[in-house]
Amino acid sequence: MSGLEASRVRILAGSTLIVDGVDCTVPAGSFSALVGPNGAGKSTLLRTLAAVHKPASGSVSFDGNELLTAPRRERARIVAFVEQDTATETAMSVASVVALGRLPHQSLWGEGPDAVVARSLEATGTTAFADREFATLSGGERQRVMLARALAQQPSLLLLDEPTNHLDIGAQLDSLDLLRSLADGGMTVLAALHDLGLAATYSDHVIVLRDGRVVAAGPTVETLTPALLREVYGVEATVLTNPVTGRPVLAFSRLE
Amino acid sequence: MIGLALGAVLVASIVVAVTIGPASITFGEVWGSIGSHLGLGASPLPPLRDGIVWELRLPRVLTAAAVGAGLAIAGAVMQAITRNPLADPYLLGLSSGASLGAVSVVLLGASLLLPVAAFLGSMVALGLTLALASSLGAITPTRTVLAGLAVSSLAGAITSLVIFWTATGDSYREILSWLLGSLAGARWPAVAIAVVALVVAGIPIMLSGRLLDAFAFGDVSASSLGVNVPATRWGLLAATALLTGAMVSVSGSIGFVGLILPHGVRLLVGPGHRALLPLSALVGAVFLLWADTAARSLFDPRELPVGIVTAIIGAPIFALLLGRRRSET
Repeated sequence: MSGLEASRVRILAGSTLIVDGVDCTVPAGSFSALVGPNGAGKSTLLRTLAAVHKPASGSVSFDGNELLTAPRRERARIVAFVEQDTATETAMSVASVVALGRLPHQSLWGEGPDAVVARSLEATGTTAFADREFATLSGGERQRVMLARALAQQPSLLLLDEPTNHLDIGAQLDSLDLLRSLADGGMTVLAALHDLGLAATYSDHVIVLRDGRVVAAGPTVETLTPALLREVYGVEATVLTNPVTGRPVLAFSRLE
Repeated sequence: MIGLALGAVLVASIVVAVTIGPASITFGEVWGSIGSHLGLGASPLPPLRDGIVWELRLPRVLTAAAVGAGLAIAGAVMQAITRNPLADPYLLGLSSGASLGAVSVVLLGASLLLPVAAFLGSMVALGLTLALASSLGAITPTRTVLAGLAVSSLAGAITSLVIFWTATGDSYREILSWLLGSLAGARWPAVAIAVVALVVAGIPIMLSGRLLDAFAFGDVSASSLGVNVPATRWGLLAATALLTGAMVSVSGSIGFVGLILPHGVRLLVGPGHRALLPLSALVGAVFLLWADTAARSLFDPRELPVGIVTAIIGAPIFALLLGRRRSET
């Protein structure tokens, strides 16, 4: 089967079990959302799926390639990971940040910015500030630049940790629209999302994590049911349909 | 282009600096003497004056250049790997650790082991500094500098004690030259040690420029770009300790070169390490060469340890860098 497959992933932080025997699949070319309450282990699981954090046991593969044991550079040509908060002390320009994404494809004294860098800037709408210093950008702009860096890796699998965090609503929709179009173009996208409403609106598939375990997974519309949300989040949810887009919208209220 | 210009400045500086000193020797005489020792005709100078050029001034100037280059590279690498703009081999205790290692073997009479002992001393000091900083909580730049201060004070005190107990005669001067850094004793063996260290440790470091760039956003980010983070970090830190150890074994601990020059070069060419590392090396070489020339000639016939000159220039700049980060503790 193609796409991302993780099986029996257990992750420890010190001696604390953070993720316990997770099996999950993300179909190739889909936009999937990883959701769950705070502390469910979403970030930890994403880091492991990106193979930057070694799990205690388990395996992760993409299109049949084992990611945890793959040579690092080869892996970095398959998977790109966008972290939640990105900061740097150095005064790098946006273009040179994005050029870092070429590292897995180039030799160490490699060619520097190339056509892929230009295309990645273009795709994320960051060409206009290519020469600006990264540290001077707003949160939303930084997020787009980090996405451009990830695209410069030319990955088949894109993992993102809370890509809409700290963004205003317009920037959130821009960012998710972009992820949606990447998935429509064939890239497999998995994003940890805090906002269930956005997850419901944008994702094809959803993986619900609680206390380090997968409690539900599947097509978004069938999975994010009022019964599940009541169980996992302890809230009452009503599923409506957005009259403009026709996509599902969630409305929440307290449990009576 | 900047590199070529700086290279030319360095060569010119070497020749000019050799002409400076109590015995006045001209430009042409310097070229003649160097040429004769490289097998190009006879020296235009009488043996005594030729000795001043070839045996005293030239090796000292070359050592100053090599040590300056090595310390500047070491500082730039440490700043990148620890993501700490205040990192420097002197401030983090590596130089003092190297001094202690060097002094110990000199006094035990095992001078052949000098660079090795200095390397081990700087590795141990680096390990202690990082361990101490992390025991205080998250490793912030300021905590690392405080930990480095503790380690270097201790290593400095032990160095002084060792010299005080074992050396005879002029031991105060010797203590000063190890603690403050001095190139007064630099001859051809010193040039050899410093240049070999630059080749063995400096060149691999300079070839790792892109890896260092990948550290700009932290370990997770570097790892996701396919960098082997632990191997790269420890490999480069070991190379830095080797470089620092070798430089300190010929010059004592000279401060602030590794701190201020990479910052200056960054302002000129930006933070990309492929340009930053070689240019820092060149600027470091020119800087320390002139600092040492000033140290030996400004108050002629008395000579300052060059570390005093670099500290007088470097400490205010350090204060400035510190001031820019006052929001963090």
